[in-house]
Amino acid sequence: MTRARRAAAGLALIMLAAGCGSRAERPAGTPAPAPVPLSLVTALTLAGTTWATIPMGAPSGPNQFWQLFTLSGPSGRWSLRTPPGIATNGALVLAGPGRQTLITGIRPSLDLGFSPVTATRDGGGTWSSLPPEPGFADVPDALAAAPDGRLIALDVNQTVQASASQQAGWTTLTTAKDLAATAAGRRCALARLTAVAYTPAGSPLLAGICGRAGTAGIFASQDQTWQLAGPELPAALSGQPVRVIRLSQAGGRDVALLQAGTGPSASLLAAWAGDGRAWTLSPAFAIPGSHTVSASFGADGAVAVVLSGGRGVTLSGPGATWRQLPPLPPGQAVVLALPAPGTTGLLATAGSMLTAWQLTGQPARWTRTQSVKVPIQYGSSSGN
Amino acid sequence: MPGMNNGLDPDDPTVVAASRAALLHQGLIVLLIFAVLSVAWVSVRGQPGGSRGWGREGSAHPLARVRAGLWAYGEPAGRQVLRIGFGLLWLADAVLLAQPGMAAGLPSQVIGPSAVTSPAWVQHVAGWAGNTWSYQPVEVSSAALWIEAGIGLWLLAAPRGTSSRLAGLASLTWGLVVWVFGESFGQIFAPGLSWLSGAPGAALLYAVAGALLVLPDRAWRTPRLGRALLGGLGVFLIGMAVLQAWPGRGFWQGASAGQPGTLAALAQTLAGTPQPHALSALLSGFASLVRAHGFAVNLVTVIVLAATGLAFLSARRRVTGPAVTAFIGVCLLAWVLTEDLGFLGGLGADPGSMIPMTLLAGGGYLALTRVPAAPAPDEALAEEAPAAEIGTDAIPEPVAGGLRDRWRERLGPAALHRSLTAATFGAMMSLGAIGVILLGAVPMAAAQVTPAASVILAQSMDGAANAMDAPAPDFTLTDQHGRQMSLAGLHGKVVLLTFLDPVCVTDCPLIAQEFRAAGQLLGARSRQVELVAVNINPLYSQLAYIRAFDHAERLDTVPNWHFLTSNPARLRQVYRAYGVASQTLPAGAMLGHSDIAFVVDQRGHLVQELNVDPGPGTAITKSSFAAELADAASQTLRSA
Repeated sequence: MTRARRAAAGLALIMLAAGCGSRAERPAGTPAPAPVPLSLVTALTLAGTTWATIPMGAPSGPNQFWQLFTLSGPSGRWSLRTPPGIATNGALVLAGPGRQTLITGIRPSLDLGFSPVTATRDGGGTWSSLPPEPGFADVPDALAAAPDGRLIALDVNQTVQASASQQAGWTTLTTAKDLAATAAGRRCALARLTAVAYTPAGSPLLAGICGRAGTAGIFASQDQTWQLAGPELPAALSGQPVRVIRLSQAGGRDVALLQAGTGPSASLLAAWAGDGRAWTLSPAFAIPGSHTVSASFGADGAVAVVLSGGRGVTLSGPGATWRQLPPLPPGQAVVLALPAPGTTGLLATAGSMLTAWQLTGQPARWTRTQSVKVPIQYGSSSGN
Repeated sequence: MPGMNNGLDPDDPTVVAASRAALLHQGLIVLLIFAVLSVAWVSVRGQPGGSRGWGREGSAHPLARVRAGLWAYGEPAGRQVLRIGFGLLWLADAVLLAQPGMAAGLPSQVIGPSAVTSPAWVQHVAGWAGNTWSYQPVEVSSAALWIEAGIGLWLLAAPRGTSSRLAGLASLTWGLVVWVFGESFGQIFAPGLSWLSGAPGAALLYAVAGALLVLPDRAWRTPRLGRALLGGLGVFLIGMAVLQAWPGRGFWQGASAGQPGTLAALAQTLAGTPQPHALSALLSGFASLVRAHGFAVNLVTVIVLAATGLAFLSARRRVTGPAVTAFIGVCLLAWVLTEDLGFLGGLGADPGSMIPMTLLAGGGYLALTRVPAAPAPDEALAEEAPAAEIGTDAIPEPVAGGLRDRWRERLGPAALHRSLTAATFGAMMSLGAIGVILLGAVPMAAAQVTPAASVILAQSMDGAANAMDAPAPDFTLTDQHGRQMSLAGLHGKVVLLTFLDPVCVTDCPLIAQEFRAAGQLLGARSRQVELVAVNINPLYSQLAYIRAFDHAERLDTVPNWHFLTSNPARLRQVYRAYGVASQTLPAGAMLGHSDIAFVVDQRGHLVQELNVDPGPGTAITKSSFAAELADAASQTLRSA
């Protein structure tokens, strides 16, 4: 080997050791955020109708069946409205374009490798099937509906699918990988997508987890390109990793639920926007050592969150402060519901039994209002 | 463990009945083999030139001649003990393989448990064997039985010469097969290895005995072999004593933190298995003794193993004699107390390792102490002429010409006639035993190359197909490509027809896979067969669902697959015509419907109805249902 070749080889080794050949994915010193399992248990209130989806039966496996309940009006009763003719072991994802209208996706489970989609226009009385999706992601906001009937979905392969109408097939809008390669994606150092939504005007919104600290990963489509459109976080949180836990439409605007920081420095924030860009940010609510069990939205953009440890908090809307709830009644699965302004309900399950609770009195306490025995068909998804 | 679950109860009545029937049929073939050989032998012997006797010596009394043919040769005593002892053991193993639960239960109750604590690569090897057995449980279990019975008979019938050595080779080979695949290498790679629990595995001892029987006669005519055998056993026992004494392996504690120690746990487990009460009480007593005095029991075990090993290594008659006697006694005790007679502690395929161990020790001692005199000239001659020994003791005349001519002469009718007329009773029995081994080996080999599992698994779960003869109700529906298709349009072909839910989470994807596999099993005949499914879920009747299902199940590339749908009203007409139920269940349950398939012949007649509930949906059961469907289609094609 000549001296020149030795020098070149040495230089190459030094460059390799210095990482010259590698692509910088995220700013140095920012750890890649670990994926957070987002609970699919949720409730949302659309034009006076509250929908809630919650697992029942066994704690997991083929005898766990996700159920859909609906509550009409603040003083109404909860009714079982799970779509028929399909096994719901894989959980339900909900999208509600309007009153009495709900589109439901069924996540893949057991030997079912794709996601059936079904819709009701009469509050869950009758259902009709829509074209199947390749397989919804394991997140509560994997499906969203625009007022004009268009649908958007996030699937298990981190691909965003879009449907021009409820009866049309699905086509790929983008993928997490493609989005990460855009200028907006690079600014965020996008790690993965967690939610899809529409703005009230019908423009798609995507949300995810950014690798860059202090950046809320919400993307809006403008002129065929994706722009980073999330809220600016307070300076105190600018060094924290941010995850968009939920993104949904409620009360005529989009609501995002964010978690900043992890472990002892974790805190929750909500953000509201009417156009997907100009966000109003709530105060941060510290949840040291806790994690989100489920999150729900009210018709007026209110947010309710069940935290680990049997705690619950609500936020009535922009400009309001977080309100801690009395200790939540126990349950195999628990979800808060906000059927009307100032009204907080709760659903808790134990096997085949659903118990509804309502926050009443001063000081506030939980009062049992209803019990529903659900005819779970144990063994029906287990084969023989 | 993969491959161990065939989804069957070991006492499944369908498999037990099929197993019994197979053994009965094959037993008749075995009788036929021996009958034909006996008739041929007796009639040839009666002809001019025949020896007109039962034995070579031409004794007057038939039984005396049989004895003469079998035992006139002065076989070394050590060899005789091994040959007869292991011959009987192979026969006992064959009897154990005839247990009703063996066909369905051996993979999950014998192979699986023996491999479960071994390293992954051992589990992989055992899994392959369990899979093979599970795919063809009746065929392989009966094949193993006849192979072992044949080896046993052959060892008993061939006292000398090449035939006897070949019987030893068969014992060596099959012993190794059983040791590797059936006993997971005797669990020597698993933790807790102990002589008391059967190390190094009974089948390895069968193989060792087989290897000793393969040795030429001259090896038995010096005390060196006996010394080597006892020395080997001595080293093994000292090694086992060290393992037994090794701290931290749990043998010194009768109980620790309220839990029984290793040996006490073994005894307790054995005591809990179904067996005669007296034996169970004895084992419980032993378990209590070990629990209370674990240290003392292990100390005695270590001392006995080490002392016996040292005595065997010394190879001195005065020491080895009593040591062998004591060792046999200890082995018999351990056979009862720690091996539960080998076959009572669950589904046993052999009597355990202690009896083979006593035979090896006894054979080694006799080989050391009773060395036979030098062979008589005719015996030496016989040993040097292997070609004359399998079927006969006669030596072919040397013929002129090349090698090919000499072999032609040896295998020609005249030579065979000569051989037969000169054959002893033992040689005829050996020939019959080889036939019995082949009766097992051939189906065993065929099972290895059969791509599909036996239909007996499907039939055990869902019963046999029901024969029908009625016109198939016609229908016109839309296929996955959006084309109209009628059943009448498929006349001239055999149709396998079923009803599937495209959004089903359990049975339907499995049934679809079974249909796909059935098409593959049919091979070129699948061109004459159409695989047709009708959508049973009227709530998800859109073509998009049919296509999504086909895509998910990789059916979109199967040319003769047709998944048909239509509007709910028309679909319900088809359900009614075929008597198929479709029931919407509440609370997130999938649609309830019957798992059924029909075979429609070329004339458009329903000829068979099959229950195709796929059960646990293992690879084995799927393969079995596919085989059942393919068989049904083939049968219908043949009967056209």
